[in-house]
Amino acid sequence: MAEINKNGQIIPIDPRTALLLLLLVTIAVFSQHSFYVEIATLLVIFGLFLYGGLAESGLKFVLQFGFLLLLQYAIFPVAPKLFTDTFSILAAYARKVLPCAMMGAFLVKRIPMRYIVLAMRKWRFPQKLIIPLSVTIRYFPAIREEMGYIRDAMKLRRISGAARIEAYIVPLMFSAANTAEELGAAAVTRGIENPAPKTSVIELRLCPRDYVLIGCGIVLAAAAFHLR
Amino acid sequence: MTAIQVNISRKLKGKDLITIGIFSAIYFVFNFIFMLVSGFHPVLWILMPGLIALFTGVPYMIMASKVQKPGAIFLMGFITGLIYFATGMFTVIILITFALACVLAEAVRYLTKYKSFAGNMVSFAVFSVGMIGSPLPVWLFKDSFFDQISEQGMSTEYLSSLNALANNTILVVMILAPAVLAIAGALIARALFKKHFEKAGIVKTWQR
Repeated sequence: MAEINKNGQIIPIDPRTALLLLLLVTIAVFSQHSFYVEIATLLVIFGLFLYGGLAESGLKFVLQFGFLLLLQYAIFPVAPKLFTDTFSILAAYARKVLPCAMMGAFLVKRIPMRYIVLAMRKWRFPQKLIIPLSVTIRYFPAIREEMGYIRDAMKLRRISGAARIEAYIVPLMFSAANTAEELGAAAVTRGIENPAPKTSVIELRLCPRDYVLIGCGIVLAAAAFHLR
Repeated sequence: MTAIQVNISRKLKGKDLITIGIFSAIYFVFNFIFMLVSGFHPVLWILMPGLIALFTGVPYMIMASKVQKPGAIFLMGFITGLIYFATGMFTVIILITFALACVLAEAVRYLTKYKSFAGNMVSFAVFSVGMIGSPLPVWLFKDSFFDQISEQGMSTEYLSSLNALANNTILVVMILAPAVLAIAGALIARALFKKHFEKAGIVKTWQR
């Protein structure tokens, strides 16, 4: 079963497997023309969710997919024209990217960022790319949080129109610039500029389950090209 | 007495990399918002590169001011492209135009020595045009593109309104809009620099 690390986090699969699977699912989703491949992709990822102990969130994605199918095949043909016009492209697009979004959600929920950094290091990504990329991914939740605070502050002061946009952007930039200063100082203190190769307490090892998953991904991507 | 050595290294340091990472996150979020909005109507899709340019001017110019070194824009573009690609939202065409735009924007910055407002504004205009790769397939592979999206379940109304837009005039508008609106975005950024950021010491004043 899934491994549990010292911090009590469940790490169901090797981060490299998860990243490869994301890539393969993306290839499969965007080159498939067959409904069966679409369903198979979804089921493989759903299986992965069950294995990683994320049954509830996996079920939510499957239900969303079902809802989109219902919308496209049962509701759009009979709905008013305006409704269909507005939502048809969104529904088609959402259905298309749903497996990728699901795989992405799995990564976010089950693979901690340090494992992803480690995977990139194993693949010999340059350090100059790993650092900003990991900062970018870690900063997304901070942006969301910041936006919430700004919204609360704005409620107190009745700001409207174009001033609202300014009132969002300016504090966001201030906090970003300050975070960059502080994080930069902290990272330099902790030796980010040390040219010696980085070491890690975590050891990555590919297990049979990783090979099985990568195999599934390759089969799906190959099937996407050949089945019509 | 030895004079204090001024470090004029052009290599990206730890702090620069972190700054690039943070502003790439903000750039990506703004970009993504308009990517989502563009799903509502063909006109929004075609104007998307321009709208993104108008709103991302501020983060781009702050980053350009804070990291006056080669590679900053390239990394920002690479990160944006990588996240979009990994989540399946970039086609090959947009990857190509985006990469070209990043390289050209870096070249503009190199030639204008990184320090001037005008040079960075031009590099931002070039960088912004990279997003045209998203609607470009409409013109590049006109017929096969329409076949493909109708197969994906787009409504006939959407197809016909997109078809009506797929002419050469709109193509020129689509390409020029990001360049023009990028300049507007950069000017907005300069106004905000004067009003807020320079006073607070977050960014340096641009050199002439």
